[in-house]
Amino acid sequence: MKIVSIILLALGISFGANAQFKKASVHATGLTCAMCSKATYEALESLPFVEKIDTDLDNTTFILTFKTGAPVSIDAIKGKVEDAGFSVGKLVMTANFDAVSVQNDAHVAFAGSTLHFMDVKNQVLSGDKDITVIDKDFISSKQFKKFSTETTMPCYKTGMMSDCCKTDGAAASKRIYHVTI
Amino acid sequence: MKRILIIAMIIMAGNGIAAAQELYVNTEPASNMPANSLGIRLTNKFFNMKHSGDNGMRFEPEVMWGANKRLMLHVLGYASNMMQPSVKLEGGGVYAKYRFLSLDQQHAHFRMAAYVRGAVINNPYYPEMPDGSHAMRPYDNKELDLEGVTSGVNGGIIATQLLHKLALSTTLGYSRYMNNVKDEIPDDFSRSSVNYSLSAGYLVLPVKYKSFQQTNLNLYVELLGKTNTDAVGRGSYLDIAPAVQFIFNSTTRLDLSYRTQLTGDMARNTSNSFLIRVEHNIFNIKK
Repeated sequence: MKIVSIILLALGISFGANAQFKKASVHATGLTCAMCSKATYEALESLPFVEKIDTDLDNTTFILTFKTGAPVSIDAIKGKVEDAGFSVGKLVMTANFDAVSVQNDAHVAFAGSTLHFMDVKNQVLSGDKDITVIDKDFISSKQFKKFSTETTMPCYKTGMMSDCCKTDGAAASKRIYHVTI
Repeated sequence: MKRILIIAMIIMAGNGIAAAQELYVNTEPASNMPANSLGIRLTNKFFNMKHSGDNGMRFEPEVMWGANKRLMLHVLGYASNMMQPSVKLEGGGVYAKYRFLSLDQQHAHFRMAAYVRGAVINNPYYPEMPDGSHAMRPYDNKELDLEGVTSGVNGGIIATQLLHKLALSTTLGYSRYMNNVKDEIPDDFSRSSVNYSLSAGYLVLPVKYKSFQQTNLNLYVELLGKTNTDAVGRGSYLDIAPAVQFIFNSTTRLDLSYRTQLTGDMARNTSNSFLIRVEHNIFNIKK
């Protein structure tokens, strides 16, 4: 039994080292034409941490697979879509969690980003999980307004660390990504 | 007029599988080209010239650049045989468009942009006739434009709405005409005008998007109007311009359009024209 827990611990550590974002599903809105999709595709392709892109053109959705070990910038993904002239309607990140304890309205440092979980039950995340980014300009303005009314925390509106934030869960940067499951 | 519009709307609304298109042929949408991309256009216009009975043609090479996500810039050249028997370089122009509003939703958006255009042209205001030939009819024209006819500036606002299956766009602009390089605008021409347009477009093919290699077929109907606002040379016209467009490999575009006058009281030497254009886009010019 002890051996099993040691093995689990060892596995856990190695998983912990591999904790990272693996994929992203980017739904771009405002696109109406083939050229628009192509331009968005080529813009996303230029991200240094993207290995390959699968497309669902009918739904204007791009599935990004990230390079192993490369630091992923969620804001850079949005920036590329906006540079192409469009907006992010939905961004779902697939991340590999290793027994990460998640609480509502608490921060988790994860793969170089600080995640603020909203609208979640307290739970422990293990394995590949999908988390949806709900910051401004990652969802429709309607949805953003809806989430804004549900939280009193000013950091949600700015996406930056502020006094309201609980300090537990060391912040990797001032930028806080608000996410839900 | 009204009936044509209604019919067009019914066709577009009834076509459940069609998606809207806003890559208008005779006007610009409020949307911009992607940042960090380059477009090259060659436009050829053919038109009948009433005074001589000859066919005129104008050749417009154009380079377009997406400076950033809000600003795009065009540089154009003009060459034509409109004012003399053989084709010559007439001048050039610049065009800048700034998108200041963008409300994107799933399969819908509303966008607004402001634009300015400027042209420097070296052309006479009355055509030269070759020696020994006579005009079929007197040159009766009060229409000036910045696409090769006169120097000047034009500015305006564009609003584009994607509504379910219909992409509608409208432009309202004001032009101030200036003297050409060697010739002054004659006193009987209006030195300013207002331009307005309403454009509609929809995607016919492909029915279902699967790959970037699929050829797209788009259809457009555009209403293009202009009013000379000075007391001299006052007059208006409204043209209709249906167009068909092919997009190959999601990067290369072929446009064909016919433009003809619906109604108007402005004297025009040319009121019908045919346009053919090839455009190629290079995305992400800087990696």
